[in-house]
Amino acid sequence: MKNKRSLRLPAKSSATPGRETALQGIWTGTISFSLVAIPVQLVKAIEPGRVSFHLLHRRDYSPLSRRMVCPKEEREVPPEEMIRGYEIAPDKYILVTDEELESLAPERSRTIEIVEFIALEEVDPIYYDHPYYLVPLPGGEKAYQLLVEVMRRANKAGLAKFVLGEREYLVAVKSTQGALSLITLHYPEEILPEEDIAPPADTGEAGEKSRLMKVIKGMTSPFHPAKYADARREKILKLLEGKLKKRAAVEAPEVTEEEGTGPVDLVAVLEASMRKMKKDR
Amino acid sequence: MKKVAEVAGRKLTLSNLEKDLYPSFGFTKAQILEYYRRISPFLLPHLHDRALTLKRYPEGVEKEFFFEKRCPAYRPAWVTTAEVAHGGESLTACLVNDLHTLIWVENLASLELHVPLARAASPETPDALVFDLDPGEQADILACARVALILRDLLSQLRLKGYVKTSGLKGLHVYVPLNRPETTFGDTKKFSKAVAEVLQRNYPDLVTAKMAKEERKKRVFINWSQNDAAKTMVCVYSLRAREKPFVSFPLAWEELEDFAEQDDPERLHVLPADALDRVEKRGDLFRDVLAKKQQLPYL
Repeated sequence: MKNKRSLRLPAKSSATPGRETALQGIWTGTISFSLVAIPVQLVKAIEPGRVSFHLLHRRDYSPLSRRMVCPKEEREVPPEEMIRGYEIAPDKYILVTDEELESLAPERSRTIEIVEFIALEEVDPIYYDHPYYLVPLPGGEKAYQLLVEVMRRANKAGLAKFVLGEREYLVAVKSTQGALSLITLHYPEEILPEEDIAPPADTGEAGEKSRLMKVIKGMTSPFHPAKYADARREKILKLLEGKLKKRAAVEAPEVTEEEGTGPVDLVAVLEASMRKMKKDR
Repeated sequence: MKKVAEVAGRKLTLSNLEKDLYPSFGFTKAQILEYYRRISPFLLPHLHDRALTLKRYPEGVEKEFFFEKRCPAYRPAWVTTAEVAHGGESLTACLVNDLHTLIWVENLASLELHVPLARAASPETPDALVFDLDPGEQADILACARVALILRDLLSQLRLKGYVKTSGLKGLHVYVPLNRPETTFGDTKKFSKAVAEVLQRNYPDLVTAKMAKEERKKRVFINWSQNDAAKTMVCVYSLRAREKPFVSFPLAWEELEDFAEQDDPERLHVLPADALDRVEKRGDLFRDVLAKKQQLPYL
């Protein structure tokens, strides 16, 4: 059995809040604060622009697969023989079972409860982890629009704790172009200390400082990211389009693990012997 | 506690003899050495000239173990070794060709003895083909017995004789002796894979030829990929490191048929005392695996 691979190139533009087709829910629940509770769905806000490739076998174009192999026994290791180990020293591990990890997992919750509002300018972008959108679910549209509007006017972001998968995240919810966006934030202990990075303070002269200030002022303009395209990505997409037009696509062979891959004669003989054997039994 | 013993004319220092290496069953190192001493006339021919992989349990079967493909550097001078290729490198492996080497290896608590299907001098020439029958979740050794009996009948249609032993765990191993210098692992792999796939096609509820865990559920996995120069099989008569010291033990086909009919999986687990009793009465049922010449047809 083989899936028909459609000839499809990656989308050129990144997702925007209005493009319903691209939205796939990661989580559904409610966002709430005070007495408001709005049913929403969490969807991803970015589609990484990197064009990814599959590794194929050069000879027959079969997509290559990764296997988990034990170097000692030189064999593939099935999932039931795997266990997690936390490395405490080279070749020394502490074993942790799935059950132990599960017992530590935060309780799943269906709410994003905003506990305080903050000015997002106070949050250094170093804390930003991953952006998502919140999309209203049926029945929640009105309240959603109201929240978008109020938060935009207040120019504040809501801070909330929220469980996704196995982890509890600290998130900021803000109003973005008529929608709510949600950014997962790093916890403070994840941020590397900066003491070693900044050089000793104040070495520059006053004259040099004011000159640089002027340069920055002169170079300042509104943020228009569309000016900056990912040139390599554009070139790769162009290359792919050209190849597609020339019908230069190759096809992976049918994976016939299901059917016998042994030599035809041998398989035929085995099947005949099998029929005879079943009759004799 | 150490004890100097004389084994076949050589002095050996044996250690921790009173240590119970199977604590939930009760089987000390002294008992293990005694088992291997008594089984050695039957076991040694099967280990002869094969690069041994040690599987050591210094603190017993409930504690950590490790594999050792290299023959330990502190070995006595009389231990025979062979240089074998391993992942593009050469390493020195132990050959267990006599009783004192066997006892020395067991004194290292290598409870399980694993050897390749080829001898060290001709590492690319398997002298047997093996069907490693491994029951998946919710399948048991009785399902393996059914598959082994189907294999026996299919092989006999092809005028090939197979020999069966318990793995000592939950599975069975069917050996097809070849003992011809022309045989390659390419041949045995191709043949065993084709047989496994034909069985899977004819008995889809019972057999799978695929390693994937979900495929193996309720089925017996025929692991044909063991037919490889880089793989080893647990040697016949080796102990296994489970709760109880089960032996990888050869069975007569009629015996297997009876056990399968009685629907009693316990009969397929052989303990050392039983193993010694049976082998001393009826000899080595696996003797022909080392001698019988057979050719794989239609390759």
